[in-house]
Amino acid sequence: MLLALRDIGKAWHIARTGERVSALEAITLDVTPGEFLILLGPSGCGKSTLLQIMAGLEPPSAGAIDFPAAAGGRGKLTSMVFQDYALFPWRTVLANVAFGPEVRGVPRREREEHARRLIDLVNLRGAEHRYPHELSGGMRQRVALARALANDPQILLFDEPLAALDSQTRRVMQDELLRIWAETGKTFVYVTHSLQEAVLLGTRIVLMTAGPGRIKRVEEVTLPRPRHLTGRAEAAMLDRLDALLGEEVKRAMAS
Amino acid sequence: MTASHWRQIASVAGLLLAWQVLVQAGRINPLFLPTPLAVLGSMWEMTRSGELPWAVLASLDRVIQGFVYGSLAGVLLGLLAGAIRWVEDLLDPWVAAVYPIPKSALFPLFMLWFGLGNPSKIVTIAVGVLFLVLVNTMTGVHAINPTLLKAARDLGASRPQIFVKVILPGALPNIFTGLRLGAGMALILVFITEIEATKAGLGFLLWEAFQLMDTRHVFVGVVTFGLLGVATTWLLQWLERVTCPWIQRSN
Repeated sequence: MLLALRDIGKAWHIARTGERVSALEAITLDVTPGEFLILLGPSGCGKSTLLQIMAGLEPPSAGAIDFPAAAGGRGKLTSMVFQDYALFPWRTVLANVAFGPEVRGVPRREREEHARRLIDLVNLRGAEHRYPHELSGGMRQRVALARALANDPQILLFDEPLAALDSQTRRVMQDELLRIWAETGKTFVYVTHSLQEAVLLGTRIVLMTAGPGRIKRVEEVTLPRPRHLTGRAEAAMLDRLDALLGEEVKRAMAS
Repeated sequence: MTASHWRQIASVAGLLLAWQVLVQAGRINPLFLPTPLAVLGSMWEMTRSGELPWAVLASLDRVIQGFVYGSLAGVLLGLLAGAIRWVEDLLDPWVAAVYPIPKSALFPLFMLWFGLGNPSKIVTIAVGVLFLVLVNTMTGVHAINPTLLKAARDLGASRPQIFVKVILPGALPNIFTGLRLGAGMALILVFITEIEATKAGLGFLLWEAFQLMDTRHVFVGVVTFGLLGVATTWLLQWLERVTCPWIQRSN
């Protein structure tokens, strides 16, 4: 166990109306080392909020998060890859990737060497001195991934990282994510609303209900890799998940 | 050189030429409008005699001091107010109250408080620059994408580190907008403050020439102010290109 969520709940107060809106309820979940865990659910089911809670960027309103003391403290446990990349526009690729080590006080030469290795890992060699706006969407997400890896976290948290990309680039990036997951041996927790992405990438899929988000079902995915959406077993799984997700989408639209 | 450049040159040269010819032909009284060449001649004489450079130096001394104090205070307060809620709450009513006052209207007060010499002029300029830079800096901080602050926090940055490494560079483009507006304001205010209580400076030179009905010297003052305005704009643009290369490259 790397990270354990115990009965996590999150509620928002809307000051204007005085309403209390429940976004997450009774989430209990263990993140196990080395897995590619998918959080799948309809829009607005609180899956991004859950990720923020795992990252420590948002406090839960109820429940507790446990992580082993051996993880070396909260700060080194997780790193987040954001949907809109969240790269610093005034920093070059190299300086973006080196940001984490820089604020942790790693000397310049050492952190730049480290950043270059990661830039190689995400196949961006030669782009070190470009600014984010000089990169395509796919390249920006590679930088964001390298930057998140730079702190050497045990868990990488992905918040719909490929949602803004065109379908061709998304396919390439999905393969890249699998390669990097295999090469680094890190644990990935990956939020998406795409069934196909869930089935292609995950080792375990957590299907969430429409708001308030609860865990509807957890599916182990044991399909061999490489996976293809047209494959028989994949198609069967897609159908099953599609029916379950469809119920939740309808519920979300009705409420 | 594009066609657009040629048209611009033709516009300036044509107007200057018409002006020169009309005045020389006696159609316009040179008391109201001296010829461009006469203005240029006066400018040369006053430069050689040292009168003009001396006036420019006296004014620049006030402008630079006022601009530097005003913009430093404006950037610092603007960043703090943008980043820390309670600082904004403390500053907000004062900004709302003082921002709309023409800063030239404060000059008499500052003369009462700081005397007739340079300090009251510098303070007037500094206050004028401060509010423009402050308001633009705050806008710049508020315009920073909140996900960037989250990302910095996620990567382990402390609050002081976020202030220096995210909020400051993130607000820099708007800070430069404030500095450009502030530089224009500094030139306006140095002129107004030099009408009174001084014997040195470009504003004094211009105003004295007006009182003596010396239109040529009035024009020398006006043209020199224009040149100073162009020079400060260039200087700030250069500074922005050097400090914000990520903006230059997007253009």
